[in-house]
Parts: sequence; structure tokens; C-alpha cells
Amino acid sequence: MLVFAASDKGGTGRSVTSANIAYRRALGGDDVCYLDFDFGSPTAAAVFDVPGSLRGVETGGLHSYLQGTTVEPHRVDVWAESEHDVLRSRPTGAGQLVLVPGDRSGGEFTTNPATVRRCAELFLRLEEEFDIILVDLSAGRSYAVDMVLEATAREEFDALRVRWLVFHRWTRQHIIAAHGLVFGERGVVAGGVARGHEADRLRSAIRFVRAAVPDPESALFAHVPPPQAAWLRRCDQDLKELAAQLDIGVTKVLGSVPLEPVLQWREQLITDEDALTSRVANVRTRDALKRLAEALSGEKAWEPL
Amino acid sequence: METTFREESADPRTQSVPLSHLSLELGHLYMEDFAAGAGRLREQFTRVKPWADAARLSVAGAAGARRPRVSTCFLVDDYFTRFSSPAELVPMLLAEAEACGLTIDYLARESGCATADGVEPASLVEGRLVESPPVGSNGSRPAVREIGWLCNGERSPAAGGGEAMSGATAWAAPAETGARRHSVFMDVELWDDGDRGRTWSCPFLAAVWQLLRLGLLRREGRPVLQAVPWGGERGAFPRSWDDLPPLVQLNPSAAPFAAYGTFSVLPSRFLPVEHAVRLVLGQVALEEAVLRQTAERADREGFAVPPAVTDRAAYAFYAEP
Amino acid sequence: MTGGAGEGPQAFVCGEVRTCLLQTSASLPRAEAVRLLQLRSDEAVRFSERPNMYAVSPEVLTGVDCALPAATGSRVRAVGTVRARAVLTEGRVLQATARLSSPVSGADRRLPWGHYLVRPGVVQPLGRLSVPDVAAGFLGARPAGPDRHAAATVDLGAIAERLLARVLGQPLLDRRAPFKSRRTRLRWFAVHAADGQGPPAAEFTVAADGLRTLWISAAGLDAAEIAGFCEELALHDWLLTTLIRMVDRSRLGSTAGPEAVLALRPAVDHLLHLWMPGARTGARLAPLWDGLERHPGFTRQWQTLVQRIRDQLALQAIPFRCEA
Repeated sequence: MLVFAASDKGGTGRSVTSANIAYRRALGGDDVCYLDFDFGSPTAAAVFDVPGSLRGVETGGLHSYLQGTTVEPHRVDVWAESEHDVLRSRPTGAGQLVLVPGDRSGGEFTTNPATVRRCAELFLRLEEEFDIILVDLSAGRSYAVDMVLEATAREEFDALRVRWLVFHRWTRQHIIAAHGLVFGERGVVAGGVARGHEADRLRSAIRFVRAAVPDPESALFAHVPPPQAAWLRRCDQDLKELAAQLDIGVTKVLGSVPLEPVLQWREQLITDEDALTSRVANVRTRDALKRLAEALSGEKAWEPL
Repeated sequence: METTFREESADPRTQSVPLSHLSLELGHLYMEDFAAGAGRLREQFTRVKPWADAARLSVAGAAGARRPRVSTCFLVDDYFTRFSSPAELVPMLLAEAEACGLTIDYLARESGCATADGVEPASLVEGRLVESPPVGSNGSRPAVREIGWLCNGERSPAAGGGEAMSGATAWAAPAETGARRHSVFMDVELWDDGDRGRTWSCPFLAAVWQLLRLGLLRREGRPVLQAVPWGGERGAFPRSWDDLPPLVQLNPSAAPFAAYGTFSVLPSRFLPVEHAVRLVLGQVALEEAVLRQTAERADREGFAVPPAVTDRAAYAFYAEP
Repeated sequence: MTGGAGEGPQAFVCGEVRTCLLQTSASLPRAEAVRLLQLRSDEAVRFSERPNMYAVSPEVLTGVDCALPAATGSRVRAVGTVRARAVLTEGRVLQATARLSSPVSGADRRLPWGHYLVRPGVVQPLGRLSVPDVAAGFLGARPAGPDRHAAATVDLGAIAERLLARVLGQPLLDRRAPFKSRRTRLRWFAVHAADGQGPPAAEFTVAADGLRTLWISAAGLDAAEIAGFCEELALHDWLLTTLIRMVDRSRLGSTAGPEAVLALRPAVDHLLHLWMPGARTGARLAPLWDGLERHPGFTRQWQTLVQRIRDQLALQAIPFRCEA
């Protein structure tokens, strides 16, 4: 399965959440590959705690591959190369967890038919081997988004399962921006259709993920004065209505991740150890990420709307 | 215990073709030449004649005691533009040549270099292109089949030859491989792909034409482009180019079409095209068995054939008025 | 002008084989296999049906002008062509091999390209090389990360990989592979042994990251024969590696019930009948198989796994029958 993680704005927690999904799926026994298509600012290596590739690899990363200067992009086996205490060895029953980083000095680049073809070949090549290929795309309507839309419009992808996750924060502006990214004039759906995608099929392959959602009922807000709590609830309700109006309401939401201090301060994987033993992260966050990871392949969440 | 598979792979199935000493090309005809009228043809043949005679003389010397076998040919473009018809053009062409003391033994249509009798000579040659690697090529670069351009060295990274590079790459001059201090760099477009399929470029078809005249192409061991006799009893020439075989033999007593070497007498405006032809010929890996056959036969005849295919094509370029 | 003959006898032949599952739901029938491997229009795909279905593409050449790898870091530049081909076994397992052979010495400067074109698959050093040094460099572990120096030496893996991409990119494949699998890489190096040194010898190692290496010493180096042997070895190594991984992932033994059987079903449907070591190896190289069967003992391990799978299937069949 090919999963694209997109967001209209930065700071939506797209990278860190999708990396956590990748990690959860690998723990569950899937072979997972995480591609850092955030060409402007590669960060994935930091999330996985792979010091050797912190700002991408010297050469031979995704930039080099897509531009034709290397035939196989460099791969990082997270279980073997991570410096994170828990990630350092592959847990029993876990699948592969592979990171494909960008080049250190790489930036955004324009695409042409050759880059699109290489991009398509890479996806097909990884589909051979991995259960889940998670592609973390640059924020906004980037070249990366255009390139993958064009690559996946090729007929070779007809038989593949392709899914899109659009990340946004739980604020008015983020909701509007996420709607624009998907349904706007130059949005993913319009761009996809222009490249040969079937509108309905593409639309039903897109789900939203709400990130950093403050839960008025959570312990975090247990001690706020009652007027503030009431205001929070009202805001939450308003946002729900806005989302529903913009056609990104509950039926199109794959999951929400609560506001999590650990993620606010440091983009990292939330391990069971963090949530249960050292308790630096909330169990609710861990559970939300777990549910999200499961929903990725759940049939119910992806029924055509 | 050898498997049956190995027996199948043996080579003797590669057929040989009869060969002349020289294939002499008396001209290419494009629409603009035709449009200029019969006078232009007469003028061209008049300029070609002395070079044709010189070529015969030269090959007679090289062939030694044997009677030299020289066949002449003429190429009409029906690939890029369609004009006139065989019924109208061929008799006029033959008459003008005869008036200048020249005989056209074989007439070919340029589209025959793209498709002939269900074979696609151009795509066959494309499959055999092996780029001359610039220094530092370790096998990880994209091949010519991915970009449709062929050059004689290393492209400027800024130009990229269809492979746009990131802005971070610094500009560098292109370089000819094996240049003597300074480069004569050339980049040849071999085809473009449009809505109606692939269109081969003129230089690429011209390179295919040279290989056909050298008798070096085979498909599954069988010769490509066989001449069809078109004598008096076949009657008039057809009204459509499609009804004319890609290669017709007009002179029943002509020497074989293909030859050890080629000599083309062309107006000098063809020089860039033929430079590109040399570039292509220098990067085609031909079937070993075919090259061996030709070499062995030439050896038996005591006729010297240059080992490099590029050196088997010679030219005279004349200035047009 | 004959191909294999450079200026001197070939001192070594080396290559890299990449093996993967063909990305189709069912094995490809003959006619489609032929279409798939028709890389050039002028040469037929070679095909044989005994002892199993086996199709070979025409060869494609790639020009190289770069350093040969060397363990000591001495950098000998070499120029010539690498030959590559794709083979498909039983319409199910696809392999691409890129190989080159080289004499011990060549002209001290690059010759016109035509000189190399008439020697397909031969790469000639500029000057003189040391065969053991190149062998060690070629088979030796390379740094895990890509580095500039490694990139400058001949990359047979890249050529093989590009060929696989070309074959697998064709629309006639339905891309519904029955299971996930990993490509394997076999890098091999064969040296010319002096006559009278006894039977050919081989040394096989499994390195990390899906890489295997094979060193061969044989009298009268026949590049095509050795390349064929290496493809066959790579095929069996891939089968074994893939089956081990499937058994591992099925959690056979720790998972009760039909899950393990379901996970192993594709192995029964698509892999088990492919095991036929030595089927295509000629008499001259047959001793190499005998050696590899003693150590590491491919068939022994394969049979153990197959027996485990069959036992499990038999066990599971009992309750199924009762329910029916």
C-alpha cells in the first residue's frame, strides 16, 4: 500500500505523526518503508533518531535518485541504525522499518518526465517488497505533490492501493487550508484529475488527520476555570461545524491525535515505554497513534463515500 | 551434459547477403529539390557525375584483378513530407540521370529506413546503440533510450540534454570524448515522441540508410530490406508511394545493393546530417556474426575493409550554385 | 574481430545478478514471457521448456570508462562494454545479470570507441591490473553509506537494476504479486585457474543487506557458462531466502490455527516447484554445485523448510475436513 502524507501548512505534525504511524505498523509486523519527500527540509531522520542521516545523506539520497545521478537511493535500516534506546533492536515479530532519506544539500527541484518516471519506478520497486510505503510530502502545493500525482496516474498503478492522508491542526485556518489543499482550484483532486486520475476514485482515497487537537475533556484541561472550559467546548463545536461544512467532517477523518506536549517540544516517536514506563508521553496519544495506524488498512474507514 | 538451450543459441542461422565492393549514392531527393523542377535534378547529376566516375576508378584499383562490383542508389524522402508520386517522379529521375551518363540501379524510399516489410530497421538500430562513455561513466547513468539524444562526449550539466538538473549544479563546458585539446561537441536528436507515436530524426534515418547499404542489419538472422526487381514487365510505377516497395531494383543487371563500403555524393548542406551519421555509426554495436562474415568474405576476396564501421562510409560534398 | 577475444586471454569475469519475483498474480505463460523479454526487435528471446520454463532476453550493452574496484585503493581505469540480460524462470522469478570480463593488461590510453564495440562484454584496463586486488575490491564489503569514491568504480548492480526496472515497467504485468519479497544481489568474480589445478572451486558468502558474494576459480573461463551458473545459484539462494522469510513471518509454531497456513499458501502455489539446483549447469561446473550442497547446504535447508510447511498443511487439513 502506498500512503501519501500531505499538509497545506507546516507545523501540522505531518512528519512526526506519519513517522509514528510507520513505526506502529512495523511493530505490528508489517514491512514499512518511509520516504522523505519533504525535499526542502528533510527531518525524518531526526524523528527516527538516525544520527548518520540527520540532515539527509551526503549523496545518493532521494534527490540524487530522482534527478538520475544514482540508480538506487540510499536506505537506512532504522532498527539497526537508530540511536534511540527502544528502536535500536528489532522487537520480536516486528517487520522491517526502512527510511529513505533525501540528500543533505538537496532542495526543492523542478520535475520533468524523467523524474516522474523514476519516481514511479521507485514506488513500484518498493511495493514489491514492503507492505506499507509512507511518503512524507513537502507542505503545500509542492513539486513533490505534482510529481507523485503524475507518477500514480500511470496505468501501472491501477492495481495498487494508494491512499492519501491530509494532516491539519485543529484551528479555523488549518481547516480551511486543508480543505483548499484537497478540493481547491489547484488542489490535489483537481491536479490529479488533470493528470489522468479518476475524480471519484482519487477523492475516496483521501482522508484527513487532525493533529494537536486539544481535548477539553482531557487531564490537560482538568484545572482550567469553568468559563474557559466552556469556551473551549464552544470553539471545538464551531470547528466541528466548519469542518462538516467544508466536507471534511467525521466521515472523512481517519483519526485525531491529541495535543501532546512531548510532540510539541521534540518531534519523536512515541514508544510504549514513553507512555507506560517513563510516562513522558500520554497514553491517550499512544493509543491515538495506534488507532490511526490500524485505521490505515481498516476497511471501514476507507469505504467509498 | 549440455542442454538443448545451448544448441539453440548457436550462430549459424545468421544469413549473409551478397555484397558489392561499393555502394554509390547519387543523391537524396527532398521536396524542395523536386519543387525546383527537372532543371535542378539535371544540375545535380551533372555535378555528381565526375565524382561518381572517380569513385569507380578508385574502387577498381582497390579491387585488384577482380572486376569491381559497384551499385548505384538514390533515396527519395517520403517520410517527412509526401510529394509527387512514383508514376510521375521515377521516369523523370531516370531520364535526367541517363542524360548525364548515370544509371540508377536501386531506388529507396526513406520511410523504408523506419519500416520495411514488417521490420523496423530504425528501432532495430536504436536497440543496438551503445553510447561511447565519457570518462567517469560507471554504468549508473541513464541510457540513450531514456532521453532520445546521442552525443560524442559529455554534456554541459546546465544543459543536461533533456535531464533538467537542480539549480545547484554549476555550469561546465561540454566536452568531446577524446578531443584534441579543444572539443567539437555534438548532440544529436534521434527521435521525438508525439501523440501519433515516434518520429525518427533525419540524421538517424540517414545512419540506418548507411547500415542498410553496408548490409550489416539482420533481424533474427535474416537480412533486412531486400530489393524487389521492377523491370519493364512490371509496367508503370504506382500512383502512391505506399504501393512501391521500400527498395526497388531498376537495373536488372546491377551489382548487389549492399557493399563493403559506401560513397555518397551530396550537396554540402548535408554535411551536418552526415556528421551526425558518423556519430551514430560510431556507437552502434552490430551483430558479431555479421561483422565476422563480412570481414572473412573481404579477406577471401583480398579486399581491404576498415574494421570500424564509421570508416566504411565516404563522401564527396559539392557546392550548390 | 570475435567478441570474447581481447588482446590477451581474459583474466577474470565478474558480474552481479539481481533476483526478484515477477510482479504478476500468476506465472507468465510462454507467449507473454517472450514479449516481456523482447528488449530488442532484431533478436529473438531464447526459450526452453526442459527441465523447466526458462526464457532469456537478448543482451544489452552499456559503455563504461571508470576505475575498477580494488582492495588496495590502487585505481586502474578501464574502458569497454558491460553486457546485461534478463532471464525469467517458470514465468515467475525474474533475474538481471550484468557482467564484464577483462584481460590483465591493455593499451595505456583509451582507443577509439569502435575498438570496444566489437568486443561486447569486455572491459580493458589502461595499463596493468592485479587480479587478486580487483577481486577483493569487487567482492569486499563496501561502506554502508554511498560515498563519492565508491560511486566512481564500475557499478554492475546499477546496470542490472536498470534492466529490471525496464522489464518490470511494462504494462503487460498486472502487478498483483501473491506475496511481498525482497530482491537479492549476488556479486560474483571468477578467475582463471591454471590447467591441472583440479576441479573448479567456489566460495559463497552471505553478507548483510541482501548481498551475497561468490568467488570462483575455474580453468578455461567460459564467461557465458559461469554467468549461467551464477544465475542459477542466485535463483536458488533467492528461493531459500524468500521461503525462510515467509516461514518466519507466518510465525509457524507460535501461531496456532489457519493463519500460518494462509500465510504459507503462496509458497506452495508459487515457489516450491521451482527448486531444481544444477538443472542448467553443464558438466564442467557441476562440481561447484556439489561443493555448495555440502556447505552451506542449500537443498538440506530447503527440504527441512518444505517439510515443516507440508506438516503444518497436513495438520491444518484435519479440522478443516471435519468442518466441511
